[in-house]
Amino acid sequence: MLDTILSFLRRSTVAAWEVEDVITDGWEFYFIRHALDQNRVKHVEHISVKVFHLSDDGETMGFASCEIPPTASEEDAEALINSLAYRASLVKNKPFTLHKPDLAAGSSCPSINLENAAGAFLRTMRDVPETLEEDINSYEIFVSSRKRRFLNSEGIDIEEVYPDSMVEVVVNARRSGREIELYRNFKSGTCDDVSLRRDLLRAMQTGRDRLVAEPTPALGKADVLFSTADSREIYSYFVDRLNTAFVYRKMSDWQLGQSICPSFGGDRLSISAVRELPNSSANRIYDTEGAMIHDVLLLENGVARHYIGNRMFSSYLGLEDTFVPTNFAVSGGTWSEAELRHGPLLEVVEFSDFQVDAVTGDIFGEIRLAYWNDGEKTVPVTGGSISGSMLTLVGNMFLSTETVQYNNWVVPSATLLKGVTVTGIA
Amino acid sequence: MNAPFSAYLSGIRGGVQELVRFLRMKYDYVSVLATDSCGFAVRISQRSRSVSSETMTTERGLVVRVCRERQYSEVALNHFDASSPASVAAEVEKAVEQQRSLLASVGTQSYFTPLLPDEPLVLFAEKECEILPEQTDLKELVDWLTILSDKGMSHSPELLDCVVTAQSTHICKLFLTENRDLSQSYVYSEGTVVAVANRDGRTQTGYEGVSGLCGPELFSQLEEKAEKSVATALELLDAGPIEPGEYEIITTPEVSGLIAHEAFGHGVEMDMFVKNRALGREYFGKRVGSDLVTMHEGALCAEDVTSYAFDDEGTLAGDVTEIENGILRNGICDALSALRLGVAPTGNGKRENFEHKVYTRMTNTIFESGKDSLEDMIASVQYGYLLEGVESGMEDPKHWGIQCIIKLGREIRDGKLTGKVVAPIIMTGYVPDLLGNISMCSPHREVFGTGGCGKGYKEWVKVSDGGPYLKTKARLG
Repeated sequence: MLDTILSFLRRSTVAAWEVEDVITDGWEFYFIRHALDQNRVKHVEHISVKVFHLSDDGETMGFASCEIPPTASEEDAEALINSLAYRASLVKNKPFTLHKPDLAAGSSCPSINLENAAGAFLRTMRDVPETLEEDINSYEIFVSSRKRRFLNSEGIDIEEVYPDSMVEVVVNARRSGREIELYRNFKSGTCDDVSLRRDLLRAMQTGRDRLVAEPTPALGKADVLFSTADSREIYSYFVDRLNTAFVYRKMSDWQLGQSICPSFGGDRLSISAVRELPNSSANRIYDTEGAMIHDVLLLENGVARHYIGNRMFSSYLGLEDTFVPTNFAVSGGTWSEAELRHGPLLEVVEFSDFQVDAVTGDIFGEIRLAYWNDGEKTVPVTGGSISGSMLTLVGNMFLSTETVQYNNWVVPSATLLKGVTVTGIA
Repeated sequence: MNAPFSAYLSGIRGGVQELVRFLRMKYDYVSVLATDSCGFAVRISQRSRSVSSETMTTERGLVVRVCRERQYSEVALNHFDASSPASVAAEVEKAVEQQRSLLASVGTQSYFTPLLPDEPLVLFAEKECEILPEQTDLKELVDWLTILSDKGMSHSPELLDCVVTAQSTHICKLFLTENRDLSQSYVYSEGTVVAVANRDGRTQTGYEGVSGLCGPELFSQLEEKAEKSVATALELLDAGPIEPGEYEIITTPEVSGLIAHEAFGHGVEMDMFVKNRALGREYFGKRVGSDLVTMHEGALCAEDVTSYAFDDEGTLAGDVTEIENGILRNGICDALSALRLGVAPTGNGKRENFEHKVYTRMTNTIFESGKDSLEDMIASVQYGYLLEGVESGMEDPKHWGIQCIIKLGREIRDGKLTGKVVAPIIMTGYVPDLLGNISMCSPHREVFGTGGCGKGYKEWVKVSDGGPYLKTKARLG
């Protein structure tokens, strides 16, 4: 089907086109405790086509996209492409050009053995040490190999193969007739048995503490420490604000070469986009539009250095050297994790759903488990919520020197935000 | 007109029946769900525009479910050759057995499940709509949405953008077993208006949407929504933070719907009962809300984005009374979980698409109406807030906690709206307290279907929810 589509596109009069063909082979296993609920196999191909139309006067450009099923007939495929050409003509955007081939990029097509990868996950989960008071309620294992080919009318024709895995786990802890659960979601390239086991044991410890947690006190404003994967939400805010779509739409006023904050009372952030992180499920050579991904410093000591984003919005800002990165690394700060833990502070290790709104800067999260350190003693607490605005909190961020990797993010192992609103229930 | 059933699915029906027949020789139970859903999505912004043929639910593919030795397995594929069902059957068997071999080598035990019943049933359902997505005049739609966006922008120089979206999907599904032959075709549509306003570096958004079990004729309702969305975004520029605490609150129908969804939508998804992950299992027949609380769930409860004729396991759609006058009565259940629990399935087995596993999922989740006027409700509040607009929510069926992110609160003092607006708001609490404190309900009720619902942080499906204005108490931060 791909060859048929390409043949139609090359014969057509459209201004430009892009085609992405992703073939996914996936193995999935669903468990209730350690008994197999269901096993699943996936073999699917998705071919996405985007067609661009340039107006006669060259003043506007439109695009339209669709997926052409591999089971489509040749007539159906041609009709879909013709329909795309018409639909693209209805859209009036400013013109831009597509990425051109980068011969330096190369390709990466390693052989991925799904059976071996799945076996590693199955054995790791089977062997996690459990006790009568802490155990695994259920889990789901997803292992896949994705083969991606991307072509465009500028001559890009690239292919890469990458692994993509996920384990979703629910952990129970119980004592004196009371039981709680914790949800965890681990993404990676293939199975990292050491990290998975470590993180599950940590979750069980968290479960033990939640069983004896007291109601969160009404703290008003407090310093809040983030020491889990939730920190990624905080740092995603900065990456989003450096996206050309945000900048062009005026939802971010961060200018290159300028500080993102009038004054810093804490650490100044440095964030890089990186092409590769160990066993990340997001290691790619090319972005979604065929641009080569490379390492680049986005934010340096609180000063915006480089925007990222797709071709259209980057082009509108007059930028050529941009792409859509998939891995990020935040530099460590100036404080040890131990120093940051000097109270009083609230260390939240389990939220219902921690969110940072990149548009408004608002942060929210209901507290399922936190440790309240009043300066003298530390007690586990639960209930209530935190809220605040990154617009003001960014000037009072304190980062640990130590860093930790959560799949496609390397972040400081501890991040302290000063002056967060804490709604307690005590 | 009736939304016509997919010609593609009609064309492969014979091949799929053969596939079932071949696999039935090897397996105790075989079903196939084949899908062919098309649509469009138009997005008009002041800064960029796009037209796509993909929505959240467009798909074409096939998923085969087989059972042997009381162990269920599935294979999802989208290159089905209807002229070679035997080779597809061989491919399915090879894939399943390769996995079983690995599982055996690891020493994995099975969670044995009885065989799904397969009583004969034939259904061919084509639901009505005025316009099909595939026959929509997209030029006219793009032009009209552009006018809407421009008109929205004309209200204030503080507006950065007015983003208008419109999407419509024609769902077609075929479900076959040895004895069942079910076909359905229906169209649903949804549209949104997001106004973005900025003052002194502070950005706020207004959000309004429309949805329904209908074609693109729905989008005429967007004009009124655009005005409201713009007004909200501008109003939020002046909003201040809320003083954290417990308040009397009145929830608008949209917020009531979010509470319904997060509280006893997720709370009675019975696949969670199988895993002992939901407290609701121990509360059937017990009080979980005030006398004013009655809640329904099911594809037949409303005509909105997920009002199908049968679910993704071939169970006919239902209408379940979950809570009746404050007493928890029933849960919702997919077919395999129903077998494990010894109950009847309720037509709530849904997949994100053919590639994904079935879970128990919500369809339309709705509070019943009451008799109190909104005016009386406001007049009864000494100090509290009228909560409007939803951002997101998170379930906690095991512990009955609830987290709802609300767009804004309008202050009420001494029975009157003061004009003061606070935002944003995080509402948290214990579900039985929140529902137990419901003291007034309005007759007016609305249903909203522009959002999606995940199970944990994945498996996104369309749902709708709603209810009347409700008065209760909650912790706001």
